[in-house]
Amino acid sequence: MLSFFSDTDCDITPRECAEYGIKLIHMPYTVGDKVVTPYVDFEEFDSHAFYDMLRGGVIPTTSAQGEEVYVKYFEPEFAAGNDILYVHFSSGMSNTFNNMDMAVKKLLAKYPERKFWHVDTLGISAESYNIVLEVADLLKAGKTPDEIVEWAKTEVPKFPMYFIADDLKFFRRSGRVSGLAATMGGLIGIRPVIHVDENGKMVSIGKETGRNKAVARLVQYVEELGEDVTAHRVVIGHSDCPELVELAKSMLLEKFGDSLRILTTVVNPTIGSHCGPNGLGICFHAIHR
Amino acid sequence: MTTYLDSSLFTGMLREGVASLSNNRNTINNLNVFPVPDGDTGDNMLMTLRAGVAGIQSGKALGENSYAASQGMLLGARGNSGVILSRIFAGLAKGLEGRETVDAAGFAAAMGKAVESAYGAVPVPVEGTIITVLREGAETADASGDLELYFDTLIPAMERSLEHTPELLQALKDAGVVDSGGAGLLSIFQGMKDALHGVVSAEDAAEPSAPQANYVDLSKFGPETPLEFGYCTEFLLRLRSDKVDLETFDEKPLIQWLESVGNSVVAFRDGSIFKAHVHTFHPGEILNHAQQYGEFLTIKIENMALQHHQESNAGNASFKLPPKKYGIVTVASGEGLTAAFREIGADEVIAGGQTMNPSTQDFLDAFGRINAQHILVFPNNPNIRMAAEQAATLYKDGDVDVVPSANIGEGYYGIASVDRDNADGEEVLAGVREIMASVATGQVSTAIRDTVTADGTPVHCGEFVGYSGKTMLSGSKLRAEAAVALLDKMGAADRDVLLIFSGSDVPAPEAEAFRAAAAAKYPNLEIMLNEGGQPVYDYITVLC
Repeated sequence: MLSFFSDTDCDITPRECAEYGIKLIHMPYTVGDKVVTPYVDFEEFDSHAFYDMLRGGVIPTTSAQGEEVYVKYFEPEFAAGNDILYVHFSSGMSNTFNNMDMAVKKLLAKYPERKFWHVDTLGISAESYNIVLEVADLLKAGKTPDEIVEWAKTEVPKFPMYFIADDLKFFRRSGRVSGLAATMGGLIGIRPVIHVDENGKMVSIGKETGRNKAVARLVQYVEELGEDVTAHRVVIGHSDCPELVELAKSMLLEKFGDSLRILTTVVNPTIGSHCGPNGLGICFHAIHR
Repeated sequence: MTTYLDSSLFTGMLREGVASLSNNRNTINNLNVFPVPDGDTGDNMLMTLRAGVAGIQSGKALGENSYAASQGMLLGARGNSGVILSRIFAGLAKGLEGRETVDAAGFAAAMGKAVESAYGAVPVPVEGTIITVLREGAETADASGDLELYFDTLIPAMERSLEHTPELLQALKDAGVVDSGGAGLLSIFQGMKDALHGVVSAEDAAEPSAPQANYVDLSKFGPETPLEFGYCTEFLLRLRSDKVDLETFDEKPLIQWLESVGNSVVAFRDGSIFKAHVHTFHPGEILNHAQQYGEFLTIKIENMALQHHQESNAGNASFKLPPKKYGIVTVASGEGLTAAFREIGADEVIAGGQTMNPSTQDFLDAFGRINAQHILVFPNNPNIRMAAEQAATLYKDGDVDVVPSANIGEGYYGIASVDRDNADGEEVLAGVREIMASVATGQVSTAIRDTVTADGTPVHCGEFVGYSGKTMLSGSKLRAEAAVALLDKMGAADRDVLLIFSGSDVPAPEAEAFRAAAAAKYPNLEIMLNEGGQPVYDYITVLC
């Protein structure tokens, strides 16, 4: 048997996990002295309440998961004779995957007959979500883990994500975006346009004045870089700004027609702790990132 | 020239380290912002080091006495950096074990052990702190000659590393300081170097043995004070054979547990002693949990709200807070507007405007309050520019540039676009000018006499007028009408963003109605309404 794992940093929810047969790794965040584990400490993610808390000045923190966490998730699978395929968020954004590597190495030494594959989505949120669903499709179509890992080599670089950010103090604090220059953002209506590059790292690639132009620019990337856009899902991820989602949706539908498969995700709280509220990103299938 | 370090020299060096740290104690306390600004790093490190020196006995060999010092520090360690300091000296002692004397190369090797031990004491090593200063110093110091050469190359390397800490740790950068633990370590090694060069300073007799008692201000934590930082909790636990198997006991799960319930964890085991430092909101839980494994030797718990104190920066310090690269001074009136300017990055907002021009002295006072290499002044009014420029020529403690923002909109956008990470002041100013040129600012006010707008519409005294620069663009008996017509004349249809600051005379629902009217008329505009609270101007409208 193959156990298909993903993690909450990929925006995948327990409901979707049940639908696609995915086992979920929960990535915690910390507010004050409280460690919150998504879908363990709450059933439904109340995104509006969470992002309102951030708007009110609270900045949660996150930390890499230890080796033992991965052992806890993976060992029962190996012990039961299952192999593992793990599709996860970008290794370029967290040290957690060093710990995962160590855990897997030890477990494979203990269970030498078992196998472990992983797909690094080199992304977060909507981008990882899109790739997780693609992998779910492939598994359903009968592809083997080896074939999926091969597929990922050429296809993961073909799922770009472009997004706009609003409150840059979150990004500055986590230091995970390069090229952010002056203090811009929602306060003056000039937002940075950020891109997750081929190494799974966030790079600021420009700025746009006003929400409409900013969203239009994201849609323009879909048009200019898109490849077989309608044959894949287009995923819009947002941190509690439904009105921008509607704007992006209508622009996308206008360009690509009503058959376009648009899914919407709310950026999970762990990643949201680094992105802040009012951000919007689009992930689509393209010639490159 | 000193080829060999022996026990008595080592003791002298540690004593001089105490004296140096003692002199810089207040400065180091004031640097303390990471992991929480509790302002006691200098005190904690000093008490830790003193406990180490107290453990030293005359007549013992270098290896024995370095071990005795490290044991003293283990028992006396206070605070995060104190505990790390004790680990540094534990590593050093390990490197000096069994030695009567050691040469520069031998000392360098022991420093390598110290680095290892320091990094091992923190579950997640954070660069830009004391451990970085130690490591970078040890990596650079020249061990190919005598001990003087070693310390003469170690100290500058540690200084460079310390100066670099804000680049590695955002909290330091935000506060405009270098790392306090790193500064303490540098101070200790400076003292050690002085001793090597034969300096013997007077005893630091002025030091109270328990400085904490002198300045605990209980009023800092009242019945309503939120528990913002929690408790600094430290304990020394004797692992007990009736509770754990000492042979096989693995402290890692305990350290991981501490990590999961607290912050700033520094913890390690030394034989049957387990030492932990943790910041937590629930110290009781920590103690109960730890007691499963042994019994306590010492416990110290302090509310960090009381630790966090602001002492004035005493004069005898050998290092000052490094100035920020850029400081920003601007002029505005109205509570909301002032707060808005602070939020986008103004360090000083001088109260003033059209009807109240600040003086040259007001500017000079503001410059003096900012510790910055390069001050940028945004006067936001042509009438105020002169005073700002006058102040700029009189100010001697840094560069001052007056950016001639003619109104609130130019100032607001200009300040928001100051790139603090760019060291090139000219480039920064060019970016600011570019963005200032792209905004248009209008004001709505009450006409103080009969007048005529640019397109010939008469406006009577007491009615509302909208204008941009010196040009009267709209007029109406109704404030909202004058405001919307002003936007129209300013070309709002071709713009992307509208910022509105409502004045002190405008009720909130009226301002909201104006926002809604503008949104309906210009659906492409992103509109942000702020309660500016400024006098004279009922609305300040900024288009970008």
